[in-house]
Amino acid sequence: MLKIENLHADVDGKAILKGLSLTINPGEIHAIMGPNGAGKSTLSYVLAGRPGYEVTDGSVTFQGEDLLDKEPHERAAAGVFLGFQYPVEIPGVSNVQFLREALNAQRRLRGEEPLSGGDFLKRARAQADALGLSMDMLKRPVNVGFSGGEKKRNEMVQMGIIDPTLAILDETDSGLDIDALRTVGHGINTIMRKPDKAVLLITHYQRLLDYVKPDFVHVLAAGRIVRTGGADLALELEREGYGAIAA
Amino acid sequence: MSVLTLPSTREEAWRWSDLSGLEALSAAHATGVAADLDSHWIGDGPRLLFVDGRLDAGRSRPGPVTVGTVDAASTHPLARLAGGDGWTLAVHKDGATPPGAIEIVHVATGGASHVPARIVMAEDAQASIVETYVGDGWANRLTRIELGRSARLMRAIRLVQGSGFTSLRDEAVLGAGASLVTTILGAGAGGSRLDAFVTLDGAGAYAEHGGALLARDSQRHDAAVVVRHAEPEGTSRQLWRAVADDQATTSMAARVEVARDAQKTDGEQSLRGLMLKRTATVNLKPELEIFADDVKCAHGATVGELDAQALFYMTSRGITPDRARALLTQAFIADALSRIGDEPVRDAFQAAAEAWLEERI
Ligand SMILES: Nc1ncnc2c1ncn2[C@@H]1O[C@H](COP(=O)(O)OP(=O)(O)OP(=O)(O)O)[C@@H](O)[C@H]1O
Ligand SMILES: [Mg+2]
Repeated sequence: MLKIENLHADVDGKAILKGLSLTINPGEIHAIMGPNGAGKSTLSYVLAGRPGYEVTDGSVTFQGEDLLDKEPHERAAAGVFLGFQYPVEIPGVSNVQFLREALNAQRRLRGEEPLSGGDFLKRARAQADALGLSMDMLKRPVNVGFSGGEKKRNEMVQMGIIDPTLAILDETDSGLDIDALRTVGHGINTIMRKPDKAVLLITHYQRLLDYVKPDFVHVLAAGRIVRTGGADLALELEREGYGAIAA
Repeated sequence: MSVLTLPSTREEAWRWSDLSGLEALSAAHATGVAADLDSHWIGDGPRLLFVDGRLDAGRSRPGPVTVGTVDAASTHPLARLAGGDGWTLAVHKDGATPPGAIEIVHVATGGASHVPARIVMAEDAQASIVETYVGDGWANRLTRIELGRSARLMRAIRLVQGSGFTSLRDEAVLGAGASLVTTILGAGAGGSRLDAFVTLDGAGAYAEHGGALLARDSQRHDAAVVVRHAEPEGTSRQLWRAVADDQATTSMAARVEVARDAQKTDGEQSLRGLMLKRTATVNLKPELEIFADDVKCAHGATVGELDAQALFYMTSRGITPDRARALLTQAFIADALSRIGDEPVRDAFQAAAEAWLEERI
């Protein structure tokens, strides 16, 4: 589904990703762990097409197509979803309007009919309920005045409504309380654990992986994947830290 | 025909204006053909259609508004041209205009039209007026407003000309406890100069004057507003949102004057500019002149660009870059348009702003 080969990327002229390769097949859940500043968020931004993140070498294909060739909104329509480490506040634009515009823009680009207001609200309500966010919050401006945990939950509500093929979730677990972590873990499984979908989960902690069991765990350090293992690699990292591996 | 004498941009109050096209606009021929106006009417209340400054009686139902010689004169360099026939609205004590708003559509088909207007409201009277400027050519207006004790007037003005120029001059005097709320939307393709002098001449008067001005290509909007607190306990709000794209310039000079006797004045100015391109210009000039000592006056002026993070967040969810810019710009001007109290009017103004954004960004 996703094939990253020898990816090099600069941010503001500084090399951050230095030859990263990773292949994700349909139905798989991959976790990426790694020290602060290793380039995890950079990888997620490069995949989503954030301006200012310049690919200097390598390739990324998604569903057989060149992903890097597409604009951010085209990547979204192709099925890529990025859950932000720091979700952005948008004063003056309600969540409901934002999501309906987003969903229908994607559908338009895919040649599908737009969803009616009623159908959209039904879908939004179902996802908000599942993730414990009130409809009142969905009517408020995007992320404005939301707590850290509420923002992360809102990312998952968005993911549920948009229903992507590949979800890249950048520290979705950080800032969540214990109950919210379980809710979000359950949400990720419900929305994304399907044979034709895949997840790239960026996290610092084992906790989320108790709920969303990864098929592979990778260690990203200094801009490259330095080690790959199964779910138990996360336990080993939690025990021993990155020192031995990243060195 | 008299030669047009216009203020020079060397004068401080006119330095951001571009009046250079007015001579040619004045000399142009008015076709007098005004079609396709249905979309400009919002409600079913009284309505007046002025074509090149003359009432089109067949397509108007003026209700309480009378048309004829107007007792108004101004020394303002543009407004002084507006003499002769125009419209007058007089509302007697405790009177109110019919429910909804009085709507006035001004169509310019070429050339220049100079029209005076006068609004006189007695004690406790209420009225709501919506004016829409369409077409091409130069529409020049003077509006004299006198509000008696506790009278309330709501005005909403929409500039949606396809080209040409609109110059408006308001001169308003508010009695004790009177309230005047003026909201202006510039969402056309013509230039503008928007002048106002609002005097809070009785204790406890309330004045709001502001709006959203959107400019593109080489368009210029230029607002110059003075709110003068002459008596105590007055409240004034000037909330303006200036948007400029391409090589356009949007300027606003907003001034609050507080006379020595005007204690307990509460004045607020919020001027915010948004540049959609680096080649665009936004000029903001907030000014305070305070001679009383017990007053509360807040002012803020900021100019910025669209938030790049918000743009990326929106596009990463599938919204096209153009639509993301339009949504953020709409959010930027929302505060200004939310001041329009009448919902159908507010919706119509929002739709006009949205149409401008859809066409352009
Ligand atoms: N705009 C920028 N200019 C220069 N350097 C940058 C810029 N943005 C990020 N970096 C640098 O890129 C490196 C990788 O950052 P990134 O955010 O990808 O790390 P991360 O692995 O996600 O870390 P964390 O675990 O703390 O979230 C860091 O050293 C960071 O300082
Ligand atoms: Mg990060």
